[in-house]
Amino acid sequence: MNATKKWILHRICAVILAPLFVWLYFSLLLLSTKNYSEAVTFFQNPLFKILTIMIFFVGFFHAKISLNEIFEDYVHDKKIKDVANLLALTLSIVLPIITLTLLVYKI
Amino acid sequence: MRDNKNPVSPHLQVYRWHISSLLSITHRIVGAVNLLALTLIFFWLLILSFGESNYELFLFFINSFFGKFILIGFSWSMSFHLLSGIRHLVWDLGYGFEIKTANLSGIAVIVLSLIMTIIFWVLAKGVV
Repeated sequence: MNATKKWILHRICAVILAPLFVWLYFSLLLLSTKNYSEAVTFFQNPLFKILTIMIFFVGFFHAKISLNEIFEDYVHDKKIKDVANLLALTLSIVLPIITLTLLVYKI
Repeated sequence: MRDNKNPVSPHLQVYRWHISSLLSITHRIVGAVNLLALTLIFFWLLILSFGESNYELFLFFINSFFGKFILIGFSWSMSFHLLSGIRHLVWDLGYGFEIKTANLSGIAVIVLSLIMTIIFWVLAKGVV
């Protein structure tokens, strides 16, 4: 992926995340004072399910690009930087997929 | 590895602090904190899928003093990154580069992020 594409995708993700992440975090704050069944009911709503899964994929992708930039600026040892970037990439793929699996099959 | 002691970019310890540089580095730091928030949400969902008794324990933790401290902290980091992000997007569109405007928008981000955190928390917790 070239730098321009990366830059544009990063901004698109930011615009998608701005309302969605606020919505999810606010919803969870509301759920924090409610019980188990209300939380389950919330995530059983198909729209909320899809939005939450989207937040995880878009959010981790946005974070992955950002982390690459931060590592580029602050990590000066190439080996450590490569490992850090690989770790960021792995997490940005694995965690959203686990979330997707949880929301589709378990909750 | 580097073999001399010269500071390397972005020279956080070298430059005199301005509101612009302060906000720039804070934007990155709270961005990373928001990644932790998303990771907490991941564990939130994971524990939810583990069933009721585990979730009750999680709720107990999240409603403790420490848990609330974290949730308020994430409320602020999210508010700050959101507002500062909008500031960056406006710059990306080519506006707001004048020193005066940039300084003012920077102060606005700091003040509004604090106000937004309070509004957010009051609304969510129904304190009023």
